[in-house]
Amino acid sequence: MTPTFALCALLAATPDATEILRRADTAILNEQAIYTLRMTVVRPGKADRLVEMKGWRMGDLRGLVRYTAPAKERGTAYLRNGDSTYLFLPAAEKVVRVGPKQNFGGGDFSNGDIFRLSLVSDYVPTLVGEEALDGQRAYKLELKAKDRKVAYDRVTYWVRADGTFFPLRAEYYTLSGRKLKWLTVRDVKKLGRRERPVTMVMENALEPGATTTLVFLTIEDDPKLDERMFTPAALERGE
Amino acid sequence: MTALLRVAFLNLLRARRRNALAGGTMALGTAALVLGSGLADGISGQLTRNLVATQTGHVQVAARPLDWVPQNNPFDAYGQDVMPGGEALADRLRRDATGLGVVDATPVLYGRGSASASSRSALVGIVGVRPERETALFAQHVPQAGRALPADDPLATYVAAPIARKLGLEVGDTVSFVIQTEGGAFNSIDAVVCGIFRKAAPWHDNFFYLNLETAQALFDAAGGATQVKLTLRADSTSAAHAAARGLLPLIADEVAPEGTRLAVEPYDRAGRFSFAIVQANQVALLVVSSFLFVAAGVGIVNSMLMSVHERTREIGTLRALGLRRAAVAWLFVLEGFALGVCAAVVGVAAGGAVVLWYAAHGIPMNTMTLAWMAGGDVLYPRLEAASVGRAVLLIVGLSTLAAVYPALQAARLLPREALQQP
Repeated sequence: MTPTFALCALLAATPDATEILRRADTAILNEQAIYTLRMTVVRPGKADRLVEMKGWRMGDLRGLVRYTAPAKERGTAYLRNGDSTYLFLPAAEKVVRVGPKQNFGGGDFSNGDIFRLSLVSDYVPTLVGEEALDGQRAYKLELKAKDRKVAYDRVTYWVRADGTFFPLRAEYYTLSGRKLKWLTVRDVKKLGRRERPVTMVMENALEPGATTTLVFLTIEDDPKLDERMFTPAALERGE
Repeated sequence: MTALLRVAFLNLLRARRRNALAGGTMALGTAALVLGSGLADGISGQLTRNLVATQTGHVQVAARPLDWVPQNNPFDAYGQDVMPGGEALADRLRRDATGLGVVDATPVLYGRGSASASSRSALVGIVGVRPERETALFAQHVPQAGRALPADDPLATYVAAPIARKLGLEVGDTVSFVIQTEGGAFNSIDAVVCGIFRKAAPWHDNFFYLNLETAQALFDAAGGATQVKLTLRADSTSAAHAAARGLLPLIADEVAPEGTRLAVEPYDRAGRFSFAIVQANQVALLVVSSFLFVAAGVGIVNSMLMSVHERTREIGTLRALGLRRAAVAWLFVLEGFALGVCAAVVGVAAGGAVVLWYAAHGIPMNTMTLAWMAGGDVLYPRLEAASVGRAVLLIVGLSTLAAVYPALQAARLLPREALQQP
């Protein structure tokens, strides 16, 4: 095999940046899913905060997460429906609208990070190369926000190059070019019908030592969901 | 009448104990009124000065959502939407609105975000200003360390003492701001603390000031402002309302951001929260003074009726010597007047002295509620001539009016019957 032929073969085998991003978008959760997860918020000098929750995903525009533990927070729920995000606080018995960029549950993930898992709709990806990351070959993508309404102006994204397209790491940058936070995705396990990474750790550049870890405990792939459960009224009724 | 007035004053000395008690009550009421007015004027002055200097100017132009409902908090006064041409609008109004008494117009960009320093972070208010045009603002927010925001340092920030303490910031330290632009993107900058300003109104406890251009870069709003703050030559609400009316045609061609309209707001309308406190204080003062005056009025009527009863034979003698009914009535009315004047002098002196002492030393507002009510951690009451005059008029008027009924009782006495009284 000549070197030129080998290079052509490699290029032909490497999917384009948009395809890598599209595959990575659904590497953890399918378009429709029901899942349970545990969130651990670590703040230096403070006790860790543990929350367990159950979530429903219906495409990229509808999502619902209800706290199941601890008991004092049970019933708290976030709903994403289109461009609107709502928070239900059972103590106040009230649904309030919250910004998609506000932080989720007091951690380092924003509501958008939790509910808007699809990066391909918000960013223009460029494949800048392949590199080794944590012992894995990975595609390195530079994602540029399509407009100034997107939360992070630029994201550097590493996706496994072994055909699984599992995300490995993401670094999020502000308009001014500062790295604001970074996500590490790890612990590939079989959950539901297939293997996938189950742990996501978000670290905040502005608060050294502050981390928020999401661990998927169960995932049900492609369940039948009724879109009526993704409404503020249903949120309030606890359906 | 002059002779009667002199007699009226002299008569106060005849039943000294009773008049001292009645007059003392009124003097106490006057002192309380002067003190209450001093507190209310102090609060009103502090809130108004703070509002005009730090937030709205005398009049402001801001973009308000079409369905905007004020939340009755101090942040209502700030515009919440960026006017993309806000800076140019300020420059134009400074030039074109001088005929309306406008002496300055300056753009302000207000937003919220988080500030982080040495692993601590907090939600904060961030205000972009043109420091060279904000003399009044920096006279309210005076440095307790370092210096006020310089115009020539785009990386400087001027921070309120409470949030500086919370984040462990000192002059020379670096603070990172992270905000979300109106569009929704995150942005951030670092700034260096040039000065820390003394705690002022509690709603500015977590405020940072930046140069306007720096704030515009942070909020991704080049040339924009959330409000244009206008300063007038005349410092009054009527002047502010007149200027606001006059400004409307000047901004008619300005394009408001989508879903908003441009509003011209005099400071009393823009700062509803502050003026609601002022009005609440005035109502409370009115209610308290009403009770005081009813009590004092009853005391005066009682005292004067006793006086008429005790002096029945004297009235009979005066009437027998030819003094007319009207003159008798006038004598008692003037006695009420004289009592009121004496009480007013004593009350104003006592209440005024207390107000002046506290005006010099301040009254600590130790709880958060009190600090919000007073617009600061320390309340400095004010002795205003109008309030003192109002108190004097009220007490003298009340005392005189309260004497009318006893005076009529005295005037009705027949000389023969009066002289037969034991």
